[in-house]
Amino acid sequence: MSQGTPLNEAQALDWLRQLEDPGQRYYAAWWLGRMRSDHPEAAPLLIQALADRSPGPAPASGIDEPNPIARNAARALGKLADSQAVDPLLEALESSDDGLREAAARSLGQLGALKARRPILRRLEPGPLVAGAPRPGSSRLTEPCEALLEALGALGWQEEDGSTIMDREPLLAVVRSYGDHDRPLIRSAAYRSLLQLTREDAWGEQLVRLLLHSDLQVRRAALLDLGVTGWRPAGVAIAQTLAENSLKLIALRGLVENSPARNQASPSPSPEEVELLAAMDDLL
Amino acid sequence: MPSMSPDPRQAQALMDAVQAAQTADDLTDAVERLSACPHPMAIPCLIQVLGFNNPGAAVAAVDGLVAIGSAAVPAILANLDEVNYGARAWSVRALAGIGDLRGLPLLERALAQDIGPSVRRAAARGMGGLHPHGFTARQRQELAERILPQLKAACGDEEWIVRYAVAVGLEGMEHWWQPLAAQRQRLLDTLQPLADPQGEAAPVVWLRARLALDRLAAFPSATRA
Repeated sequence: MSQGTPLNEAQALDWLRQLEDPGQRYYAAWWLGRMRSDHPEAAPLLIQALADRSPGPAPASGIDEPNPIARNAARALGKLADSQAVDPLLEALESSDDGLREAAARSLGQLGALKARRPILRRLEPGPLVAGAPRPGSSRLTEPCEALLEALGALGWQEEDGSTIMDREPLLAVVRSYGDHDRPLIRSAAYRSLLQLTREDAWGEQLVRLLLHSDLQVRRAALLDLGVTGWRPAGVAIAQTLAENSLKLIALRGLVENSPARNQASPSPSPEEVELLAAMDDLL
Repeated sequence: MPSMSPDPRQAQALMDAVQAAQTADDLTDAVERLSACPHPMAIPCLIQVLGFNNPGAAVAAVDGLVAIGSAAVPAILANLDEVNYGARAWSVRALAGIGDLRGLPLLERALAQDIGPSVRRAAARGMGGLHPHGFTARQRQELAERILPQLKAACGDEEWIVRYAVAVGLEGMEHWWQPLAAQRQRLLDTLQPLADPQGEAAPVVWLRARLALDRLAAFPSATRA
């Protein structure tokens, strides 16, 4: 059983290429994603690894998820910006392993794979009481709703990809239905997605409400979700949230960088951005 | 504010409330109330709270220690917890907020060596917030010669938030350094790489560094005492 992580890209590729040591394959897949390898062999090897159903490293290593190599490969492919990964990830989205579906959905969102919108939506369509129902004997839901909702938000809404305005309302209706889910983390993912899809302030206000939730995990999730959307009216509420400054700083960075109002051509911050930077200064 | 002297009996009652707190939220509330009436009597109590592994209470305790100011520095330095990493990080944050030069060696060690980005970022910001009271121009210059290379080295930190804090620290240095034109240029030159979108990966860092450069260029001696 191998220990540690690859030293360099060549070694990572070797480790992923060999089939004897699952530990090496597991860490190699992780490493290539983490380092955003642009080696021409990286994506093809990771795509092969998506089909790996071996049990992975020995339980003593602390890795106890099913299909760990395939899941790591799916995660890595989201970071490589290689479009040949899209079809294999769409296939992984149909896997019986919900953890692999989760990783594939996130990666398809990261890749901006518009082809993924319909299959992801299909998984969510049964609604929060079916797709969002807890599995017996597990804390997991029937579908990896959080990842699916977030991926829809990341894909955004464009009409030029073959979808028309007629497709938009049914999409929003499905996502909205998860805004009533029992679990606040799922609601947070739904609001985040809706805010990205519609830019309607109401969804940002819902996320700000979750910043006051009694559970720290929920407040943390809402912070990160607001950061991803870049919804700037949340700045003051983020600064005042009861949570670690490190997370609030990440969220405020998101408001600066991810807002549609950011003028990419301007090297200097706008007055609104100066206020956000001042809030960040106070949290250092 | 430190110039006000709250009633010692009131401070004692607020400290008793801290000791009596039963839940994490109660503790945070009690420490917030104590920190709002900062009295030197409260220093040991506030330092103790830094070690409780309660972030809300620790934030409030740091605020209280910063409000008390220099009077708290000897006790913070004498009670550094070498084992409890979290407590040490909060101590660095308190010292960074106070700006007393006696805390500088600890900030320097933290910026160069601490494994926690939250500690390095506090140290970098703290170097910009020093208060060298009574220093001559020459002594301030010597202090700047000591600190500038350390912040420059931290421009290469792998964590964006530390580089962000370095930009804030460099801008802050101007306030206590009050450099002449040639020296001032060194400050701008050190900030420049952080403000370069080609060289700096995080947009928020280059925006913050650009803001620092803009401010230093717009008000060359506005902060001169």
